[in-house]
Amino acid sequence: MLTTTIEAVLFAAAKPIKLSDLRKHLDLSEEVVREAIDDITRRFNTEGSGIHLMEQNGAVQFVSNASVGEDVAKFLRVEASGPLTRPSLETLTIIVYRGPITKPEIEMIRGVNCSLILRNLLIRGFILEEQDKERLQPVYRVSHEFLQAIGVNRLDVLPDYEAFRTNEKIAELLSREPESDV
Amino acid sequence: MAFELKLETFDGPLHVLLELIQGEELPITEVSLGSVTQKYLEYMNTHDVPPEELADFLVVATKLLLLKSQAILPIEAEPEEDPSTLALQLRLYKEFVDASRTLEERFDSTNWSFERATPDVVRLEIGEVVTNLCAEDLREAFSGLLKRLEPFFKLQTAALERVVSVGERLQEIHEAILSRTKMTFRQIASSGKSKVDVVISFLALLELVKQRVVHVVQSGVFDEIEIKRVD
Repeated sequence: MLTTTIEAVLFAAAKPIKLSDLRKHLDLSEEVVREAIDDITRRFNTEGSGIHLMEQNGAVQFVSNASVGEDVAKFLRVEASGPLTRPSLETLTIIVYRGPITKPEIEMIRGVNCSLILRNLLIRGFILEEQDKERLQPVYRVSHEFLQAIGVNRLDVLPDYEAFRTNEKIAELLSREPESDV
Repeated sequence: MAFELKLETFDGPLHVLLELIQGEELPITEVSLGSVTQKYLEYMNTHDVPPEELADFLVVATKLLLLKSQAILPIEAEPEEDPSTLALQLRLYKEFVDASRTLEERFDSTNWSFERATPDVVRLEIGEVVTNLCAEDLREAFSGLLKRLEPFFKLQTAALERVVSVGERLQEIHEAILSRTKMTFRQIASSGKSKVDVVISFLALLELVKQRVVHVVQSGVFDEIEIKRVD
């Protein structure tokens, strides 16, 4: 019954809905919402289902199955968005595998200023900017729109996702102070 | 704007370094980094590095020069600013570059998913609500509306009258000529109210002539047209 309600809400809302909002509005515990979402994911995210549940940034959304994306795009008369430049692609990759991540951290990995690229990615709707209260600066994550563009329902299905997230060397590099002491 | 576009497509210093190392088929180590220092500096000389990125390019250049000088001079490196991190940084950077290939393939493929399109909400404008209306206001409004429609109705009746008249006039003339043996066109036309009426009478007369119901004689230009019954 509960799962039914959540499923109905997600269908009707169409937009990404935060799990915390579901919890608040339906007066549920975190575990119950998690279980319901997992149940919906299990039932919908199959090869034969035209509708899949996408989860990113703690928000879930019903989207169409990416494996038939070409036909849906043709019907909706949607054309491919412009290609990504190599620097934007690199920046997106870093955000995909290490987000939420700050601008200095991205620049540490790329070794170059990324302000303009981040701004352009924000304009294209591929990334989101949020204030991180602890780090006192904005952090970046990829958006549901970007997941739709690459046709994955969640980031952890990408190759080597866990390896990148738990990579100690990257953590070590990012923990170093920026070049301020030079 | 053109300049900004150029900036976004300009490869970063690490990318330049990675391409140099891979071009020489060298492993990513301090030694090989030192060996491409010259080529890196040449790249900076031959390419217009955007001013915003120049500092970052120079940081890498100084690190390279430090590496090279250490390779040549047998001086103990100061441990606090360990230049080997450039090699580490480049190795990590390379991992992201490799991962970006998968992402690019996915981005370029047509395997897209779509969210449900929500219709744009149309806000209905609530029009002005008129109060204190009386019957007279409604009558005025309606007669105003009728007045606006008048030209349209006028056209319609005119068109109808004309159509009906040709046939009718023919009948009239036919009947008239049956009751007497002879008449003139002026007698017929005199009953006409307008020019159009006369034309219609004439058309009806011509039709009767064609049908050989009547026989017409005109002795001269503008003289009376005498109409006789054909027996």
